[in-house]
Amino acid sequence: MTDTFPTFCIIADAALDLDALAAQITRPTTGAVVIFTGIVRAVTSRGDSHETDHLEYEAYAPMAEAKMRQVADEIRSRWPVVEGIAIVQRIGRLDAGTPTTIIACAAAHRDTGVFDAARYGIDRLKEIVPVWKKEVGPQGEEWVEGHYKPTGKD
Amino acid sequence: MITVLFFATLKDRAGTRRIELELTEGTQVRQLKSLLGERFPALRPALGSCLVSVNREYAADEDVIPSGAEVALFPPVSGG
Repeated sequence: MTDTFPTFCIIADAALDLDALAAQITRPTTGAVVIFTGIVRAVTSRGDSHETDHLEYEAYAPMAEAKMRQVADEIRSRWPVVEGIAIVQRIGRLDAGTPTTIIACAAAHRDTGVFDAARYGIDRLKEIVPVWKKEVGPQGEEWVEGHYKPTGKD
Repeated sequence: MITVLFFATLKDRAGTRRIELELTEGTQVRQLKSLLGERFPALRPALGSCLVSVNREYAADEDVIPSGAEVALFPPVSGG
């Protein structure tokens, strides 16, 4: 299964092309591609409300790409119906309104769990893929820290 | 000889991205953290909560660091 369907796990320093990525994971049996993309949010109202000018992303690239492949493997073990998978994280300076990450999962049909698979992918990326962002706005700049403490099993 | 990489806030605290270190055989992650705290006092407040990877896998305090390892110290991840 894994041999026949593509998996792309990439740390990218150029703009993301959602159409091209969907095309790359589409095979003759594919009838649905669920794409989640994160966007740099200019105005945050939930919790500590604030404004953001841009984010600066940094990655431990070789480990990040390995952990993205692990997330793809975890998706396939939970949703064997998932066909192609693309996981991409942009790094560098990203202005408000810009796509930051993509999780794309392909399947034959939309009612196969493929929405849940993409949701799982972004949740897991935020837990174990070594990427960090520094938030820059009118209030100054600050590194954002996650909350998850991975163990050896992650 | 091992390589230690620092990312995000840990890089800012250490003032460097990367160092090389000679370790005695059997050194655990916990002991490496305290060695690094002596060399970079600004790291100390972050050593309790930081994550450590050894050869690109998450490591625990009691894990032994093999010779030639690539170790990294960083805060909980915030990608996406």
